Amino acid sequence: MQKTVPVKKMRVSKPGSDDHSVQKITVYRVICVILLIVMALLFMFPLYWIITGSFKTKQAVISRTPELFPSQFVTTNYESLFQKPAFTWLWNTVLMCAGSMILTCLCAAMAGYPLAKKKFTGRKIVFSVFICAMALPKQVILIPLLKEMAFLKMHDTLWAVILPTVGWPFGVFLMKQFSENIPDEMLEAAKIDGAGEIKTFTHIVFPMIKPGVGALAIFTFITAWNDYFLQLIMLNDTRVLTISLGIAKLQSELSTDYGLIMAGAALGSVPIIIIFLIFQKFFTRGITMGAVKG
Amino acid sequence: MKKLLAILMAVMMMMSISSVMAEDNVEITLWTYPIGNWVDPETVDGIIANFNAVYPNIKVTVNYLDYTSGDDQVTGAIEARTTPDIIMEGPERLVTNWGAAGKMLPVNDLWTEEALADISAGSEAVVAACKGADGNYYEYPLCMTTHTMVIDRAAFEAAGALQYVDVETRTWTTEGFVNACRALTDAGYMTGVVYCGGQGGDQGTRALVNNLYSGRFTNAEHTAYTADSEENIQGLTLLQDMVNEGILMADPSIVAGDEIALFCNGTITMGFCWNASAAVSNKASMADGIDPLPMAFPSDDGVPELCGGIWGFGIFDNGDAARAEAAKNFIRFVCDDAQQGPASVYATGFFPVRASFGDVYAGTDKEANGEFMVFMPFLGDYYNVTGGWAVQRTEWWNLLQRVFGGGNVTEEVATYVANANASIK
Amino acid sequence: MQLTRNMSKAMKATRRRENLSAYLFLTPALLFFAGFVIFPMGMCLVTSFFNYSMTDFSFIAFDNYVEMFSDPTFGKSLVNTIVIVVVSVPTVCLFSLWVASVIYKMNSFKTSFFRCVFYLPVVTGSVAVTVVWKWIFNNYYGLLNALCKTLGIITKNVNWLGDPAYALWCIIMILFTTSIGQPIVLYVSALGNVDHSLVEAAQVDGATNRQVFWKIKWPQIMPTTLYILIITTINSFQCFALIQLLTNGGPNYATSTIMYYIYYNAFKLNRYGYGSAMGVILAVIIALFSLAQFRLAKNDR
Repeated sequence: MQKTVPVKKMRVSKPGSDDHSVQKITVYRVICVILLIVMALLFMFPLYWIITGSFKTKQAVISRTPELFPSQFVTTNYESLFQKPAFTWLWNTVLMCAGSMILTCLCAAMAGYPLAKKKFTGRKIVFSVFICAMALPKQVILIPLLKEMAFLKMHDTLWAVILPTVGWPFGVFLMKQFSENIPDEMLEAAKIDGAGEIKTFTHIVFPMIKPGVGALAIFTFITAWNDYFLQLIMLNDTRVLTISLGIAKLQSELSTDYGLIMAGAALGSVPIIIIFLIFQKFFTRGITMGAVKG
Repeated sequence: MKKLLAILMAVMMMMSISSVMAEDNVEITLWTYPIGNWVDPETVDGIIANFNAVYPNIKVTVNYLDYTSGDDQVTGAIEARTTPDIIMEGPERLVTNWGAAGKMLPVNDLWTEEALADISAGSEAVVAACKGADGNYYEYPLCMTTHTMVIDRAAFEAAGALQYVDVETRTWTTEGFVNACRALTDAGYMTGVVYCGGQGGDQGTRALVNNLYSGRFTNAEHTAYTADSEENIQGLTLLQDMVNEGILMADPSIVAGDEIALFCNGTITMGFCWNASAAVSNKASMADGIDPLPMAFPSDDGVPELCGGIWGFGIFDNGDAARAEAAKNFIRFVCDDAQQGPASVYATGFFPVRASFGDVYAGTDKEANGEFMVFMPFLGDYYNVTGGWAVQRTEWWNLLQRVFGGGNVTEEVATYVANANASIK
Repeated sequence: MQLTRNMSKAMKATRRRENLSAYLFLTPALLFFAGFVIFPMGMCLVTSFFNYSMTDFSFIAFDNYVEMFSDPTFGKSLVNTIVIVVVSVPTVCLFSLWVASVIYKMNSFKTSFFRCVFYLPVVTGSVAVTVVWKWIFNNYYGLLNALCKTLGIITKNVNWLGDPAYALWCIIMILFTTSIGQPIVLYVSALGNVDHSLVEAAQVDGATNRQVFWKIKWPQIMPTTLYILIITTINSFQCFALIQLLTNGGPNYATSTIMYYIYYNAFKLNRYGYGSAMGVILAVIIALFSLAQFRLAKNDR
């Protein structure tokens, strides 16, 4: 699919399948795999620790001699978690992330297409501004953003978190990169067939950049999920809290209920893992980034 | 595409539903910092239900703050003008910070003659603390306590260090403290950790430094910070020496909550951040064999001056007279009602500011809290009302980090005092 | 003559139509971008010239900027930020490339498994992850101290987060674990899509695996690398929640980044104007950085 590569392909290989069937087992590879397994264990450890910790007693969870597995299996942490509106928090989080994700993908996909494929006045300037603002941390503009949200009467609603996330130009950049891959011939053909702009977009552009949209979707979802500070400043009401805020509020000055925090974290990571598993099929279908162009 | 749009519409609709609310009655919001059980929805909802039995037309919504990020949230709300009607915390925030910045409404009419007399009978310092520099009251107090430290009696006994402690009066001298630390270290115990990691719990470290040589944190008029006084320099130097000797630890990576966890799991044998509420909330986390004994801070003359904690309610100026009035009704009910008042105090785990409430713990589950009554006579000056408190607090942590990072005490306190005093307006 | 004029007229019309449709497509994105990025950024620029606090709002021209450049903590935070970006961006890229190159040839179950595993720290959420890491780095009974002692690397407990010499590296390490998930996913798919005819041709010509990798595959995954460079840079500059939850910028500002210092000034000291001024400077640095990265990748192709 890549433009820089000759179109003729001798054999279409399915990505992800073991196309190196003749691969030799070398010492190097064995070392790599062992190292990989060690790393994988390290990466699994925090979540493992959180899940087991959520089933420990208050005493055990802060114990000096760590218990790799709870010696006394209790569900009290979950009981006290569900006394709080934990499911509301979870629902809010999903709503917030899904809202950000859908709006971002939509706006970015629409904006990426003309930036990549249309020669319009001001293209260079628009794109440069997007690039410059791409890596800007939201926290920099938090106070003005806060005032703006208050003015729009959106402070303390999920919109206050969603809209700034959607405004972030990174998605536009990504979609532009993907749109570069669309062969000009296809667009020309559509035009000759008399397809309008909207039809061209929905029938040709969008299907072509779908894997990219998948990548953007997951990226946005996780960005929104992890943007703890934006949520902290924008959301106050217990009814609109997200799960990470809810968890953070479980700590008090003189006694921190680690078991409860871990139960909250375990509950909170379930939906996002599901999202990941759903969207990861986009990746196996193959993403090819477009060549870099100004 | 269509599917995407459909989902989008659905999401939008769901969000608009949640933002629609009926506006018939007065609706007020209450934000509480985690003060005893005032963090627990069951308790707070119960109090609100009692309130609604008397005032059915006032709907109270609660939002719980924590000490790590609560201040940021209030700052955000002030800038966004979405502050709550009622906030529950101490005078250092309500009076000194937000009150002085003109964000709060005076609550002078809550301070009736009867209330003033009753609270004065308990402690004059409380009355003074709730009054702003302009003579208006910005807080109506509910409860108070003394901040103490805690030691593990079992470990002290095993190390032969209990001899340095007066278990009756719960006091000890600076010399006794040093000796106890040595004895504990010799016996293989870790003593205490001066946490310097910021955020809450600063009262413990302040009281420790000040008491060692009976220094004062501010001047008597509460117009300047005096960490650079000879006594305080002596105190900090002693702590620095003890850390260097290895009989005490200082740790910039932990905060008060972590220190308490270390005490609970038996890593360390003394904690510098303790009070009646901490004793209750950490009961279940305490490892077997640890026998927590609340203690006053060590002092050269054996007479400690403990930091007080005062908690109560203030009202943010939201420009709505009806809501302000409703908020006052709520505060009156929670603090003054003959039945609800003591119950509200009971929920905090602290002690009533009203002398007439007496011992709210007698004959209850929290009877052990009565133990902390012994510290009340040592209640020192409530200097938390000094201007620039919020700046001072962050500077204080920086000071501790620099001192225990090997800085020269005299130079470092000079920096601290310069920065802290510059913020007093 | 007439013909060319008609032609140019037609071209102009086409161009106008192209412009119109392009901007219509861009409208939603531009609207959000202007409303929630550009406008607040402008406000930020304006307030940076004011002494803006909870009680004050007075014009002080460039005083905030003057103060900033003589503020040693700002300097320290700037250095820390640069260290984080410079260390973590290449490390994340190289490591994820290595992991991806090992796992992309496995069967699809194994690939999915590893991909998922390296993603876990991303999904667990900052608050919970910091609780675990705080315990791992614990000075008194933490896992890292126990491990290093057993291996004989250290003899005495090290206060990882409390020692200015190590604290920033601990932050970088945690940042590393939360940043490599996405790059691995992308590299796996990019490597899986490398054109096979070229690889086979090279192998027939007797190229070694290493040569195949650097000469054939690497150029083809270059666009992905650019993308990864950019998201990792974003991540590194935004490293804030970790610091706020773990060290509060301490000990003695050893882990303070510009991002954290802005927060500290705006939310702890209520010096919004000063915070804004730093925000403006950070924005300029980031913009230059992004632009440079972009140009570099473009020329490198």
